[in-house]
Amino acid sequence: MKLKFKYYFLLVCLISFGFNANAQWKKNKANEDTKIWRYDIECQGIAKKGAKLVKVWSYSKNPKHAIAQAMKNAVHGIIFKGYAGGGQGCTTLNALVTDYDVAEEHEAFFDAFFEDGGEYLKYVTAATDGSIAPGDRLKISKREYKIGVIVSVQTDQLRKRLEKEGVVRALNSGF
Amino acid sequence: MKKNIIFTLGIILFSISIGFSQAKKPTLMVIPSDVWCNQNGYMTTYDNQGSITNVPDYKRAFQENAEVLQVISQINGLMSERGFPLKNMESAIKTLESNAAEDNMRTSKNSGSEVNESPIDALKKVAKADIIIQLTWTVNKTGPKKSISFNLQGLDAYTDKQVATAVGTGEPSFSAETSVLLSEAVLAHMDNFTETLQTHFDDMFENGREIIVRIQTWDDWDGDLETEYGDEGEELGYIIENWLDDNTVKGRYNTTDMTENMALFEQVRMPLFNDKGRAIDARRFVKELSDYLKSPPFSIPNKLVIKGLGRATLILGGK
Repeated sequence: MKLKFKYYFLLVCLISFGFNANAQWKKNKANEDTKIWRYDIECQGIAKKGAKLVKVWSYSKNPKHAIAQAMKNAVHGIIFKGYAGGGQGCTTLNALVTDYDVAEEHEAFFDAFFEDGGEYLKYVTAATDGSIAPGDRLKISKREYKIGVIVSVQTDQLRKRLEKEGVVRALNSGF
Repeated sequence: MKKNIIFTLGIILFSISIGFSQAKKPTLMVIPSDVWCNQNGYMTTYDNQGSITNVPDYKRAFQENAEVLQVISQINGLMSERGFPLKNMESAIKTLESNAAEDNMRTSKNSGSEVNESPIDALKKVAKADIIIQLTWTVNKTGPKKSISFNLQGLDAYTDKQVATAVGTGEPSFSAETSVLLSEAVLAHMDNFTETLQTHFDDMFENGREIIVRIQTWDDWDGDLETEYGDEGEELGYIIENWLDDNTVKGRYNTTDMTENMALFEQVRMPLFNDKGRAIDARRFVKELSDYLKSPPFSIPNKLVIKGLGRATLILGGK
């Protein structure tokens, strides 16, 4: 009886460890996708002053991870990617950081900024209470989803933070 | 020992003064474009020696059009947030008027004399800025749908170059009011405008401020720009070009015009700071040329006239 209990306990431990490792691996994979800029960002109209309303398309085997990663991707996209203009009154937005040498110089700052639960969360909010429109949940292959999430990024605050860090120049710097 | 300490302190203070030097900040002002004033009926006419000329009536536009105030106020607010507060044209016009009224009434307590003002001084009494932000918008109507075409142009008042821009047409709407569409247009375009302005400033810090330098001569001067100086008998025009070669950033300038009486140098890239680390403008920069020409072997008396940060004229042959 005692031996049986020991056996079940060990099995449960192994299974839960397996789940945890799998979840961590998927999270790391999602972070890796952000690092190699594997996401799409598009404008969703004119937001309130100092903000940008964007839809971020993230890729993941697990839709939950894609949703969680959307906020990180949105901030990353505004800083490094920008977006093209188009419908809904959108104009082209260039990336806040255009000099990638400067970005590399501040690698430590960006690593801390974009770590899970990091400072990037201060500058982004979900625009639709986290709900995903049916057309924004696409299964693009047998094992991968493409999920579109609409978020609002506080671009003015974000720019000021990057100016303070010396990553981008302020309009009045030098005067 | 004491001398060493004073010397070290001096070096530190000098380094700090250079480190904290700030370039001369250009002033910016939003003005409605001639096209907008014309389309909205804010023009006035005057007889210019027999030829009827149309000019914008800015004062009436500010007094009668609430939309122009809304747009300018919104642009001013967004630029202030970027640390670049703009001059407000409406206030500048009012200040000019009140200053003119005060100057007309002012007399000296001792002698009763009036304030000196030459015709040139009177001509210079206009609302001005180093960079003019020219604003144009039109309301497009297709059936019940309305949209706004919006155009912001940042124009350097001295070189006449467009240094910043944002232009585009917004999304058509059935129900939104014009003021809402205008507000959206400003929000949609200001980022692009400030970005192009930033590119202009970055270029200025890297390659120097772009200015215009004009050389003129008084008609009673016995010399001209073809007068030869020195043992090699070099003409004054070439001597001035040599000075510009030596003193501009990377020797960058264009000789646009050169006759015996006048010279025009465009795209002159002057440094933002002098040898002492102090911020300089076109006046300070051309003052060095003025001093150079006043000194032997040239000994040419001259008068330096400026227009803002970016245009200077040197008139040779007297004050």
